Amino acid sequence: MKRAHQQHRHQPFDSILAALSVDLLIQILERVDDPGDRKAWRLVCRDFLRAEALHRRGLRVLRLEALPGLLRRYAACLDLLDLSACPGLGDHALATALFAGAGSWLLKSVSLSRASGVGWRGLAALAAACPRLESVDLSHCVGVGDREAAALAAAEGLRMLRLDKCLRVTDVGLAKLAVGCPALENLSIKWCLEISDIGIELLAKKCRDLRVLDISYLKITNSSVKSISSLGKLEVLSMVGCSNIDDEGLQFLDNGSNSLRSIDVSRCDNVTASGLTSVIEGHMCLQKLNVGDCFPELAPLFLSKLNGLKDSLTVLILDGFQVSASSLKIIGVNCKNLSEIGLSKCKWVTDEGISELAAGCVNLMSIDLTCCRMLTDKALMAIGEHNKKLVCLRLESCSLITDKGLEYIGTGCPKLEEIDLTDCPITDTAMKYLSRCWELMILKLGLCDKISSEGLVHIASNCQNLCELDLYRCIEVTDDGLAAIATGCSKLQKLNLCYCIQITDRGMKHLSCLEDLRDLELRGLHHVTSLGVTSIAIGCRRLTELDLKRCNLVDNVGLCALAQYTGNLRQINISYCPVSSMGLCKLLGTLKCLQDVKLVHLTHVPVERLELALRAYGGQLKKLKLFIGLRDLLSPWLIQMLHARRCRIRWVDKPLVFSP
Amino acid sequence: MVPERRRPPEASSKSSCSMMSESPRNRKPDLPFAPFDSTNLWCGDRHGRSFLEFSPPLVTQSSGLFGPDRETKSKKQHEPSPVDDPVMDWNPRLMLSNLSFLEQKIHQVQDIVRSIISHEDQFLDQANELAAQQQLVTADLTYIIIQLISTAGTLLPDIKNALLSTNPAVGRPGSNQKQHEILPVEVAKASQYDSLIKDLNSCGGKEDELIKCSNNSGVEASEPIPIEDHDTKDNDDGMDGENLPPGSYEVLQLEEEEILAPHTHFCLICGKGFKRDANLRMHMRGHGDEYKSPAALAKPSKEASIEPQPLRRYSCPFVGCKRNKEHKKFQPLKTILCVKNHYKRSHCDKSYTCSRCRTKKFSIIADLKTHEKHCGRDKWICSCGTTFSRKDKLFGHVALFQGHAPAIPMDDAKVLVTSDKAQVSEASSGMPGNMGYNFSGNTSLDAQSPDIKGVDDGHGCFSPMTLDACNIWGLAEFPHSAYEVSESTFSFLATGSCSSIQRNGEN
Repeated sequence: MKRAHQQHRHQPFDSILAALSVDLLIQILERVDDPGDRKAWRLVCRDFLRAEALHRRGLRVLRLEALPGLLRRYAACLDLLDLSACPGLGDHALATALFAGAGSWLLKSVSLSRASGVGWRGLAALAAACPRLESVDLSHCVGVGDREAAALAAAEGLRMLRLDKCLRVTDVGLAKLAVGCPALENLSIKWCLEISDIGIELLAKKCRDLRVLDISYLKITNSSVKSISSLGKLEVLSMVGCSNIDDEGLQFLDNGSNSLRSIDVSRCDNVTASGLTSVIEGHMCLQKLNVGDCFPELAPLFLSKLNGLKDSLTVLILDGFQVSASSLKIIGVNCKNLSEIGLSKCKWVTDEGISELAAGCVNLMSIDLTCCRMLTDKALMAIGEHNKKLVCLRLESCSLITDKGLEYIGTGCPKLEEIDLTDCPITDTAMKYLSRCWELMILKLGLCDKISSEGLVHIASNCQNLCELDLYRCIEVTDDGLAAIATGCSKLQKLNLCYCIQITDRGMKHLSCLEDLRDLELRGLHHVTSLGVTSIAIGCRRLTELDLKRCNLVDNVGLCALAQYTGNLRQINISYCPVSSMGLCKLLGTLKCLQDVKLVHLTHVPVERLELALRAYGGQLKKLKLFIGLRDLLSPWLIQMLHARRCRIRWVDKPLVFSP
Repeated sequence: MVPERRRPPEASSKSSCSMMSESPRNRKPDLPFAPFDSTNLWCGDRHGRSFLEFSPPLVTQSSGLFGPDRETKSKKQHEPSPVDDPVMDWNPRLMLSNLSFLEQKIHQVQDIVRSIISHEDQFLDQANELAAQQQLVTADLTYIIIQLISTAGTLLPDIKNALLSTNPAVGRPGSNQKQHEILPVEVAKASQYDSLIKDLNSCGGKEDELIKCSNNSGVEASEPIPIEDHDTKDNDDGMDGENLPPGSYEVLQLEEEEILAPHTHFCLICGKGFKRDANLRMHMRGHGDEYKSPAALAKPSKEASIEPQPLRRYSCPFVGCKRNKEHKKFQPLKTILCVKNHYKRSHCDKSYTCSRCRTKKFSIIADLKTHEKHCGRDKWICSCGTTFSRKDKLFGHVALFQGHAPAIPMDDAKVLVTSDKAQVSEASSGMPGNMGYNFSGNTSLDAQSPDIKGVDDGHGCFSPMTLDACNIWGLAEFPHSAYEVSESTFSFLATGSCSSIQRNGEN
């Protein structure tokens, strides 16, 4: 406090600090939660900005060009730095930015997920500049290999590391990390396809503190499981899709030397009930069990073994099984504490079975009944009757349920936050019932063609927390419905309006007041013109993803508006739009954050202009979708340059059809 | 003290099997191959000092020791070496004089012991003197034993006959000889010899104890079968591939010259040498029509193998080698080719050097070629500098040691490329900091394990390999990668230098 006073002694007397000291400001700031409000706070005056800088612990950088300035301001107290939205971030930029921190970094956690431009030099600089580094996320940086892993291994204190889909990491890289970071507790090497048993064995020998390990989709065999089983502190093990592992491997886990709490063996084709039985026998306090898509039938032995877990088991995922009513009854009787069950695509799931389950497991919070097509309202009645704590219910393609069933849900499950009703034959009445669940955040109504604006009015009247709404092909929805949503659900972040063909510019105008909107899909809206897109661009400044495919009336004006206002746009689809080269050049020339651009069948753009626009783009494109006919027309130099900048071009071979 | 060993050639020629079984015990395993003459000299000298009459037979005995080898290996030559002859004519007079000398010696020892007994009380307070006396007795007794052994050695073939003929209960003199037969076996091992001495010491020079001792060994020796048993056990331990009992095959030992000869088949007419018999037979056709008959051209072995050939194995002529039949854990070699390869690999100079790594040497050209196929492919390198040809071996090594980590094989290639780029840029832009930066960047990365750099440097020496790796890398990556690397290098270095300047300014 004293320091703060000294610091601001030479402030003019009319400064706010004369009345409120910095620590008081910080205390006030702690009570401001909403990021929008914080932004407003920052804009009040310099002192407020400084207070916010002292208070801030985490930072997510949206635009690369702002990075050096941001880091200079926040260097001192930052714990968490998220650079996942900056694919253009290179070694040079990262090293410079970190140097700006003048070596006083307290950073503990850095996310470089999808920031595929960072190589070993950048990571070496990171490891050198941040001695307290504990957590690094490099997932989906497909270029990361052994060199990068070796650079990262210099961070001795690393405890959490995600390397999902770092395709070039081999056993050598893993060994570097295992040797360099012996304190690792949480490691994900999902999809690192080069890693083999040898690497896993060394990892298990060197990193004895591992608690969470994800080895999904690796081509590893039973011997890996054997070495993993020696990890005494292991609690969570995910091995999705390890088809080389079979029951014999799972039996190694049975040795009781680890404290496994959660195991995910879904999609392991060679695992059968007997292997799982041995796992259950070895770990009587298992909490989470995911066995989806392993073997078709639930063996009675396996079900009876669940009895041993009755107190501990909370999550059971049985996707793709043949689950009879009697099986569900056994689960209901045995697993009283179950909070989540997954029965997605299970055969033979009947109302009777769900009733037994719901009656037995009253604490269920999440039920996934996707594609359980035999279910009727009776099942929903049982759920509404027993599962008062229900938060998430997925009923996609349950084509026998009606509005009546949702009445039970609406009255019985007041805490519902997420419901998926895609492809269910429900009407506006169901929306009326659902609107009683006022905590609803995610609502999916795709392909529910009987839903009209009236239903949306019901939702908008009561569900103020709604942040995701899917109205894919709800053809009855009109601008009035959107008006209701826009006023009632102001926190909406994600909205899908694809092929809601009645919507016009008026609806767009209503939507433009949704300031939080990030993801908007407007595919095939024939009545929406550039005017509507312009209003969206002006209103929804946070938009990051926009789909305008087959919006036949959106032209250059709309693109220019987007270029001018939505600076954070990362994905855009303007395939089949009648835009000309000017709009495209403007769009690509102005927006710096674009990563994923789909430009299929832009009939008004000549090839040379398209090439020019692509060359003009100054940011880091990661994905580009083009018509295959252009492959030979575009200059090889351009294609080579795009490849060199790590841009993946997908060539689409679809004929130009004008009607959707 | 090296004990004399001798074995009459008759034994080996009579039954190579029995010779086989006992020979490894009679031979001190680490006896050098060539300089046996010096041993003889030494023995002669040793005995010449104390007992001159002994020296001539001793010399003959010990040189006869090497006779059997020669004879076995050169069975077909059938020319017993002249040194073997004196052993054959055994001199009873010499023997008598030896025995009487021994009698004298024993009397001497008796006297000493008696005097010890009579002065027992005085010695109590003069422990040093007592010890000296004891040592004297021990030395004398040892000497007597050795003389007995060597003397009886001259009788060995006769004993053998006697033993084999039946009569396990030979009289007192027989047992004496038996003891003499077995003792060399025991004495052959230095440790056992030491223990014998210890026994003698503990006896306190008492004669009856000594007799007991020798009786014990005599009992052991009276049955030759246990010895063979012991040998089979040894072989069981040591045999790697096949597990033949020692008697079940015939052992051949080739001469060194024979092994190293480039050709083994010689034309009897013109003297031209060939590696293969078949080639010789082809050659023989040129010498006349009689060699063109199908019978002459056919493989001769077929006719020879009418009578069942005994299983034949080979011994390495290098004494002390495990493949030598004298070795305690003798492992025979299967074919002549095995002998050749083994002898060249183990006992010859390695004159072929790998042209790539210039470190590996081989004595067989085929080995060199095999190595050259893999040379430089030792791509699994540990941070400590050890290289491995297999990944699992490297990982086993890494798992074993704290702080070791696999080095990344790409390291050198990348460093090479970047430094090349740096040189280019240095030339073009005239920035002297480039090189320095690159290297410092590299070292800062490898600072964790400074050895890696050493490894890299070491790799740099293998010029062909580095070039290969470089090429491979260049091809595997996109063509832009070089551009990319250089770009980042430049930009990086620019910031590096800038920032350092800034820092200096601040300071």
